[in-house]
Amino acid sequence: MGKQLSIFVENKPGKINKITGILEKEKINLKAMTIADSGTFGIVKIITDNNRKAFDVLKKSNFLVSFQDVVVVEIQDKVGSFHRVAKILEEKGINIEDAYGFIIEEGGKAALILKVPETERVEKILKKRGYKLIENF
Amino acid sequence: MFFQPDKENISIDNLKAVQEECLAKTIELAGRSPYYRKLFNKYGLKPKIKALKDIAKFPFTTKEDLRQSYPTGMVAVPFEEIVRMHASSGTTGKSTLVFHTKKDIENWAILVARGLYAVGVRKTDIFQNMMNYGLFTGGLGLHYGAEKLGALVIPAGSGNTKKQIELWLDLKTTVIHITPSYLFYLGHVIEEEEKIPLSKFSLKIAIVGAEPHSEETRRKLENIFGIKVFNCYGLSEMNGPGVAFECEYQNGLHLWEDHYYAEIINPDTGEVLPEGKEGELVLTTLAREGMPVIRYRTRDITKFIKGRCPCGRTHRRIERIKGRTDDMFIVKGVNIFPSQIEGVLMQIPEVDKNYRIVIDRYEGLDKLIVEVEVKKGFFDGELSHLKAIQDKLTNKLKENILVTPVVNLVEPGSLPSSTGKAQRVIDKRRL
Repeated sequence: MGKQLSIFVENKPGKINKITGILEKEKINLKAMTIADSGTFGIVKIITDNNRKAFDVLKKSNFLVSFQDVVVVEIQDKVGSFHRVAKILEEKGINIEDAYGFIIEEGGKAALILKVPETERVEKILKKRGYKLIENF
Repeated sequence: MFFQPDKENISIDNLKAVQEECLAKTIELAGRSPYYRKLFNKYGLKPKIKALKDIAKFPFTTKEDLRQSYPTGMVAVPFEEIVRMHASSGTTGKSTLVFHTKKDIENWAILVARGLYAVGVRKTDIFQNMMNYGLFTGGLGLHYGAEKLGALVIPAGSGNTKKQIELWLDLKTTVIHITPSYLFYLGHVIEEEEKIPLSKFSLKIAIVGAEPHSEETRRKLENIFGIKVFNCYGLSEMNGPGVAFECEYQNGLHLWEDHYYAEIINPDTGEVLPEGKEGELVLTTLAREGMPVIRYRTRDITKFIKGRCPCGRTHRRIERIKGRTDDMFIVKGVNIFPSQIEGVLMQIPEVDKNYRIVIDRYEGLDKLIVEVEVKKGFFDGELSHLKAIQDKLTNKLKENILVTPVVNLVEPGSLPSSTGKAQRVIDKRRL
């Protein structure tokens, strides 16, 4: 199962800088980041090459941080790749709560990160359709 | 020019006699309420007094006592005689309730009418009441007083700025009752947004209250609008607005001493201070039937102004309220204690006990911001869960303090710790 790290942050200048600074210092490679905000605060969601370590160092720096289950599925970096995944989930009536991604190699592989209500079920469905799941980084 | 010449111009000796008689009645009446009956028994006091000075034998009544007697422990008449209730926020938990008989409402209206008359309001005036109606006493208190006087009352309530300005212009409003901050804001909207010259307005008088403000604020408002601005004092425990009112001389507020027995005390020792010394104002109702209150500690700091006022009223004047003896603050005219907010936070397991209250003003209206830390164990990375905590807290606080706050969730450790003398309330309003 894939994991993302969710970090609670106040909506203030310098907050992202603090997170990326900590990751750099600890030589953790940031793969993807997305932010959801709600006025004065928000949640920064990240995927790194060492989520466990990232969790520990952020926690040590007094951040509110939590692991969340996500589906990390490998897709091709070309037109329509995401659509095919979305279509499968639609057929099964699965709601996508959040989605983001990053390219692994230009014109080649990409990673699609999906936040869904039933992570395991979605993983099974996608596996059955021949998709490769990325367990973690 | 008086609304009740014989009552407002009463000789000092006669006033003393009225006070003595009314105080004796009040003490006797209070003894019929469950709260005071118990209290008198506890201290072995007889509900009788012979002279004004005998009041010193009676203990003070505090906000906490009112809360303890919630809801009706201080009601001194059969409950069917009660026709109105108002509420004010308590220091923690329950609000304090005040009950009035028909006569009490009538008397309250008279006291307000006296004040309105003293500042020049007449039957011919159009009075737009821009204070909150409801549990808060500011709206209905002035409403009844202005009607008593015979003015045309527009019960506009607070907010709804465009409508206020429309009514103000179309009905040629001459007198308004408003908070000073909202009056500033209206001036800004009229001139900057609506681009209406203030000369188009027929306004003559603004009665301002419910918010502490300075003499400089008054003068500024008078200059902006080209009107006279008058200060009015009251608190819900003593009815509401109209306990004391300025007159045309704008030099202190005449406290209606035939309805309230006033003492100034040292808030630390409870010792009654000589006239002219600054201290906490303590009030005893002298004519209230529904809920007599003896020696109520207002927590407001003021002093009596020595000497007679040129207006001729014999009722002594108090100075503009200088401050509080507790940590209460006022937002949108509503009294709030930090302890109320603390009490609510204690009930929400998802947030930490550290908090900070920021009071700011946006477009002339007060904004109450409550900052709280999210507790570590409760963070699961879901934004919707955080929002749910925020909503829960907003609603709980609103229920408790009667003002809708803005709740900001902040990172753990970002607020001053709850131990030691942390500055919990930051008031950014400039008045």
